[in-house]
Amino acid sequence: MRVGVFICHCGSNIAGTIDVAKVAAEMRKVPGVAFATNYMYTCSEPGQDEIKEAIKREKLNRIVVAACSPRMHELTFRRTIEKAGLNRYFLEMANIREHISWIGLDKEANTNKAIESVKMAVAKAMNNKPLYSQSFKVNKRVLVIGGGVAGMQAALDCADGGLEVILVEKSPSVGGMMARLDKTFPTIDCSICILGPKMVDVAQHDKIKLYAYSEVDDIKGYVGNYQIKIKKKATYVDWVKCTGCGACMEKCPAKNSYDHFNFGVAPTRAINIPFPQAIPKKAKIDPNYCRQFVKGKCGVCAKICPTGAINYEMQDEIITEDVGAIIVASGYGLVDMDKFPEYGAGRYPDVITGIQYERLLNASGPTEGHILRPSDKTEPKTVVFVSCAGSRDKSCGIPYCSNFCCMYIAKQAILTKDHIPDSQSYVFYMDIRSPGKGYDEFTRRAQEDYGAKYVRGRVSRIYPKGKKMVVVGADTLLGTQVEVEADLVVLATAVTAAPGAPQLAEKLHISYDTFGFYVEGHPKLRPVETNTAGVYLAGCAQGPKDIPASVGQGSAAASKVQALFSKDMLESDPAVAKVNENTCVGCLKCIMTCPFGAVKEKELRGGRIVANVIETVCAGCGVCTATCPCGAIQLSHFTDNQLLAEVNTICQK
Amino acid sequence: MSEIAPKELRIVGFLCNWCSYGGADTAGVSRFRQPTDLRIIRVPCSGRVDPLFIVKALLNGADGVLVSGCHPRDCHYTDGNFYARRRLEMLKQLLPYLGIDEKRFHYTWISASEGQRWQKTVTDFTNQIHKLGPLHSTTEAHSGS
Amino acid sequence: MGPEKMKEIITDVLKDVDVVIGYKQGFDKLHATPCFINKAEQIEEIIWSPVCVQNLASFLPSLKAKKVGVVVKGCDSRTIVQYMQEGLIDRSKVVVVGIPCTGVVSVKKVLDKVNHQPIEDVVFEADGAILVKTPAGETKLSLADVSPDKCSTCLYPTPVVYDHLAAEPIKSVKAPEDVYKDVEEFEGKSLEERKVYWEKEFDRCIRCYACRNACPMCVCQDSCIAESRDPHWISQKSNLSEKFMFHMIHSIHLAGRCVECGECERVCPMGIPVNALKKKLNHDMKALYNYEPGVNPEDKPPMYTFSVEEKKIEEHKL
Repeated sequence: MRVGVFICHCGSNIAGTIDVAKVAAEMRKVPGVAFATNYMYTCSEPGQDEIKEAIKREKLNRIVVAACSPRMHELTFRRTIEKAGLNRYFLEMANIREHISWIGLDKEANTNKAIESVKMAVAKAMNNKPLYSQSFKVNKRVLVIGGGVAGMQAALDCADGGLEVILVEKSPSVGGMMARLDKTFPTIDCSICILGPKMVDVAQHDKIKLYAYSEVDDIKGYVGNYQIKIKKKATYVDWVKCTGCGACMEKCPAKNSYDHFNFGVAPTRAINIPFPQAIPKKAKIDPNYCRQFVKGKCGVCAKICPTGAINYEMQDEIITEDVGAIIVASGYGLVDMDKFPEYGAGRYPDVITGIQYERLLNASGPTEGHILRPSDKTEPKTVVFVSCAGSRDKSCGIPYCSNFCCMYIAKQAILTKDHIPDSQSYVFYMDIRSPGKGYDEFTRRAQEDYGAKYVRGRVSRIYPKGKKMVVVGADTLLGTQVEVEADLVVLATAVTAAPGAPQLAEKLHISYDTFGFYVEGHPKLRPVETNTAGVYLAGCAQGPKDIPASVGQGSAAASKVQALFSKDMLESDPAVAKVNENTCVGCLKCIMTCPFGAVKEKELRGGRIVANVIETVCAGCGVCTATCPCGAIQLSHFTDNQLLAEVNTICQK
Repeated sequence: MSEIAPKELRIVGFLCNWCSYGGADTAGVSRFRQPTDLRIIRVPCSGRVDPLFIVKALLNGADGVLVSGCHPRDCHYTDGNFYARRRLEMLKQLLPYLGIDEKRFHYTWISASEGQRWQKTVTDFTNQIHKLGPLHSTTEAHSGS
Repeated sequence: MGPEKMKEIITDVLKDVDVVIGYKQGFDKLHATPCFINKAEQIEEIIWSPVCVQNLASFLPSLKAKKVGVVVKGCDSRTIVQYMQEGLIDRSKVVVVGIPCTGVVSVKKVLDKVNHQPIEDVVFEADGAILVKTPAGETKLSLADVSPDKCSTCLYPTPVVYDHLAAEPIKSVKAPEDVYKDVEEFEGKSLEERKVYWEKEFDRCIRCYACRNACPMCVCQDSCIAESRDPHWISQKSNLSEKFMFHMIHSIHLAGRCVECGECERVCPMGIPVNALKKKLNHDMKALYNYEPGVNPEDKPPMYTFSVEEKKIEEHKL
């Protein structure tokens, strides 16, 4: 065994708190280590070249790179040693940056720890065996979860590239949050006018199969071969027959149904088409309000429907689709107003949320674009906007910035002036965050051209006084208390993860953070990938972001899928379980515990029963290895002997 | 071992690749200071951790062992940590029967984004082990511990 | 309880199985030995008395290819149920001849009582007394005094699974809460005392592996990781940590599977209380998952399954 050890300085990231030369010197004393050196940037081209040259010159057959996390550069160095003719699994990494140099300042202790960590890697590397991938066929279909602007962009880009797309949207229409917006900043473009054509494209694209009012029920499989179960929720309207004429909606007697699309700004009918531009433009019954469901009799819509599409007996339906990759664009939610007792916790009708205000501004909204106070349907003359309602507020459990509220408040202040020229807007803000192209100019226009009064400070209390709402806040620039008597108050409520985001993540086996946003592969360099091969992210599911960023991510995710699907065959990860048929006693406990059903019974020619791993199904978790009492089923690259080599390096009694 | 500073104790950590190893990386990227006693062994999943590894470590010179995996329901391999939880709990309860303080072994769940939680876990566990002192008497253990 | 009814049953059973496993007398009256019967004339050899201590169910997995009749006591019958849970036998190919049992003898305890004299005769009297004849004379013993510990807390005197019963079923008179009294008592000792206790016990181990070989639930047999280089869990060194490790391997592999037949302890030439760790594990499995090995064929051994919400496992805080 001739192990080569390469200690990276990572500039001063590692060398600053670890004596890298000493680590290299100590390694030269370790039996089996034929060569050890330290280098400024091992991952750089000359750094990698040095490894390749040393492999040839020193006839090295196992390589240990002590540098950053293997989660960062394992693949880089695997490719490096492969280019020099070694099996890529002959590489081990010792994480001396994230796990040592960055977390302690004591150079001596760090150096000692680094020496031992590299020794562990050497011990493991000496037990590394060559592993070879198998190739398997890719199913070149992609599932997009979420039909908001990010999901639609991803779906369209994939479909335009010739891929078959399955688009699953949980609400009755695609469009997402953007479809609810009146205008977009900083251009004051009509939101639905720019989104509508995309929605139509999605509906009409022959490569896109849209499941609206559907949810992903179950996901099985792995990159290249997923089996998806989609739950088509009962709409009680046969969408094949429904023409979207809207006659049912006109005649429906249940007029007090909650309007999900309009965030409850005004009621809707129990049977409804969510908005005029809905795609698909089909009606759906809300059984919580429909008299046929609540009282057991009505049937008005069934009588009126010209095509006989109403079906009160409809059940949820499960559909199976096979795909090879998944783009998750499941969007975001908004924090509930009841989080804010100081703002009335949703009890005052004239304290509303930003998205509700969008619906009041919108020409196709419940007020047909006339700004009217919810309480008495009068035009407000004084409108107060409260930014950071929940955002950047640790007491609310939301320490992060919701990203786009500053901008939409400026837009709403401008639109308010457009709609009601004699109105006055006030904006309570913490900081104005407008770092985008044309964004800062836009917030200035709101103030300078449209006369919105910006008050730097938080609102402490809102209470009703006659017909007015009194907004009490601080002006931290003037150092005074401010009170504004407003006709309408708009809270820029914080962006949260979409409801059910953690449950979806668990189905996808991707990570989510404390707030429920999905964790990307790398915060800088892998922004739309996840750590699960074949699953990509787009839009606000990953974190709050505005429309152009969401669209950009949608396209980025689509291009990642295109790249993945550019090959007909994928290489399997060979770090999977293997059975030693000589020592396997056929107790088959591994079959009992394998989470993937990857272990099957196999009869040898003599009739003896042993376990057998289906390599492409095995995901490499090693649950079987920890189950097997006789050590016959070993997870390659993490075998008992490899882990014991590490344990024994640390513990040598 | 000579590499171990005399003030350090020997602590072995088994971390799943997808969550806890990432959490330790996150703590590193955020420069969260931690004690230096811990040595980390990367495993794909907490379900890979045979309780015998922990026993082996404790019998052979470790003063403490820490295992960390993905939070229940968030396992990269769906069920790996559910099996781990049963196995590790079994060991946790068996150790004191053997006369080994159960505080020398800790298992927990830390996600890739929980750098702070990782820092706190390492710090608290290391302090706990230091409070207990070395598991092995200095004469039978390797020099330096 | 004479063996006559049992012999009748076995005569019948033998007609449609390949072999029946029962007991016959060993090299003296104190020892019984397993016998494998495949001809009717062998049936006369069969005995049944409290010297029939071996767990005959242990042979079943290795005879999987054959149809087998087997004589089991209550305690042994749990082995069969455990095999069923783990899919190690095909129940349809096993004919279970159950014997309700009031307790067996510990050969070691009897020999201790008669100062390890050669045994000339052993007579079990109707009142439960045992007459042991040695060159030094006759000793009268009571069964309770020379029973292995497991009999004193036996909850299953009648087999939990059988096709034929050789006598009227017996109800257990033992209290379930007494089963793990010894475990709880030991837990009352200090950590240091426990450590010293096990170090002393395991230090006496000669690594003969008799405990493992006698264990009906040890599935690995010749593939034991205690004797393997790949994986290389323990070396051949005869120091305490390696011996300790061996016992941990055996115990942990038995977690939630040990049917407490006590064979491991019976065969240990050093008298190490090898079963105690497994009892501790069973005690915990009962508390955590309300699971008792070898009782209900429908159960799943707790180490091979899980609940998403574990009701009894609390998150540990530092």
